[in-house]
Amino acid sequence: MSDTLTRSPGRSDRPAVRPPRAAGLLNRSPAVRVAIKRVLQAVPVVWGATFITFCLMNLLPGNAAVALLGDDATPEQVAALSARLNLDEPFLVRYLQWLGNALTGDLGNSLQNNEPVTAILGRALPVSLELVVLAFALALLVAVPTAVVAAKRPGGFADRIGMQISMFGLSVPNFVFALVLVLVFAVGLRVLPAVGYVPIGQGLGPNLRAMILPATAIAFALFCEYTRVLRADIVDQMLREDYITTARAKGVGSWQVLVRHALRNSVFSLLTIVGLQFGALIGSTVIIEQMFGLPGMGQGLLQGINNRDIPVVQAYVVVMACFVVGANLVTDLLYAVLDPRIRHGRPAA
Amino acid sequence: MAVQPPDLATVRPGADPAADPLDAGPRPRGRTGRRARRRTGKGLWIPGTILGLIVLACFVWPLVYRDLPSPTAGSLLQANLPPFSPGHLLGTDPLGNDIVSRLLHGGRVSLEVGLTSNAIGLLLGGSLGMFAAFRGGWLETVTMRLLDMLIAFPSLVLVLVVSTYLTPSKLNVIWAISFFSIPTFARLARAATLRLREQVYVVAARLAGARDSAILLRHIAPNVLPQLLTYSLLWVAAAIAIEASLSFLGFGVPASEPSWGMMISRGQAYISSNPELVLIPSACLFLTIVCLNTLGDALRARTGAP
Repeated sequence: MSDTLTRSPGRSDRPAVRPPRAAGLLNRSPAVRVAIKRVLQAVPVVWGATFITFCLMNLLPGNAAVALLGDDATPEQVAALSARLNLDEPFLVRYLQWLGNALTGDLGNSLQNNEPVTAILGRALPVSLELVVLAFALALLVAVPTAVVAAKRPGGFADRIGMQISMFGLSVPNFVFALVLVLVFAVGLRVLPAVGYVPIGQGLGPNLRAMILPATAIAFALFCEYTRVLRADIVDQMLREDYITTARAKGVGSWQVLVRHALRNSVFSLLTIVGLQFGALIGSTVIIEQMFGLPGMGQGLLQGINNRDIPVVQAYVVVMACFVVGANLVTDLLYAVLDPRIRHGRPAA
Repeated sequence: MAVQPPDLATVRPGADPAADPLDAGPRPRGRTGRRARRRTGKGLWIPGTILGLIVLACFVWPLVYRDLPSPTAGSLLQANLPPFSPGHLLGTDPLGNDIVSRLLHGGRVSLEVGLTSNAIGLLLGGSLGMFAAFRGGWLETVTMRLLDMLIAFPSLVLVLVVSTYLTPSKLNVIWAISFFSIPTFARLARAATLRLREQVYVVAARLAGARDSAILLRHIAPNVLPQLLTYSLLWVAAAIAIEASLSFLGFGVPASEPSWGMMISRGQAYISSNPELVLIPSACLFLTIVCLNTLGDALRARTGAP
């Protein structure tokens, strides 16, 4: 009698011998299965992204060859360039050719200096990545503590200050904020350089000195968005969720309830907003790189547009779109890693 | 992608006054507290008044005050005049153009682009979302998937590409921006329509033999529109920021039409000698956007719209 009482009901339900499973990648573990499914789902989205880009760049009115050569080009010159750019082929043929080449890692050559586009991308990518990672790290480092402190007492002093700052930040276009930063730190205090890039190979210190202003300019907007979302979510949980009440009733300290119970669950909404904001983040790198003279993807894109260098612009847009899709995929996978309900294939409540 | 966008209420607080005591403002006491709070909502009339003044200054003032100097035909003899010079209240820029008239003209460009691109996005996106949700089935799935792909794009990048390829002009900037506001409005309209579709009066209309178009136009659209309009204030702010960014990068409206973004970008070269060339248009831009954002938030909190 006592034996049956102490045994947990879940254990007795489990069959003694596990049913044999078919060996294979898909059956290895629920987490792997979910991951594979999500990756496969992302493939059509990436494909769609390349297709939309190609449509936009090729179906817009105006002949690319004319745009490249200027208005006073002779018809023969236009015809020659059109042939070189494959503009004579039907749209779908061109798309399939480009897609086939892209799948083998060939994104074409720059019209400006005939350099392979992949080489140009390879040079620009690390700069942008460093900028984005720095901005992310800065934003999260400041946003999480701010949100927790603000949510500790909704409507209190810290909350009001934090929310006013983030409202302010959401309304300042990032280039305006960047100019103010330049005005204060480069023109006024003369402590940081206003423009220029130092590769990481020439020492981490000088590199960071060049990167810190642009990264802060991007991070500020991110910080505001993250703080607002995280704070709203924590406040919501503190008011509604039973496990918060339980933890409080058990006598858990108020900070611990905030950090260990509420913050942990709010990570999901933070993740969502991080994934969703990624497109905007890439957009802001375009402006900020241009302002601070960083030779990243954004500056490359602008140069490509200015030179009417179609293969380069196309490659940049596709790569940026793929980054956004990839960010969404990673967000999705992180959900699966963090949430046992998704990990084990059960629908989340 | 299975990532759902967060409930809009979590993106911007204020949608749920119960969860967010901050936006509710100080609570007046007394029997008529609720009504009094409605009438004196600071979040509504302060930004509303400022926006009204900005609109008046940008659109009406140049009509009334005919002596306003031209924003582009300044003379180099009058370059770099300090603020409060006779005839030039805020001085002139390095090309001798009057800053006040450039500001007013720039505000007109910003507001025109913001409002028009929003109207287009609201009309096209709203009807698309409403129609998709009303019809349901594969039509809805395909439309929403396509729009999801558009949302996944880094929109500034594409606006940049589109507006350059269409040759820079105000109209093309408007088209490019509105194109990317369509998915957001479609999503909102769809969510609202899905709720409305099950309402009794819609079922009643259908039973009474009303045609689909009549149900959509007479019963669903009037209920979806207020929600979209409230949200569109926030989008006007976003559109103005995008327009300013484009002009800042030199890909926006052509140089014959001064805009705030362009003024900031031109002033950048003189940031150490004349920082006011950057700060004045930046302040205008910021003021407009912050007013639109606060007004939008306050309206949403008031109406309880998502």
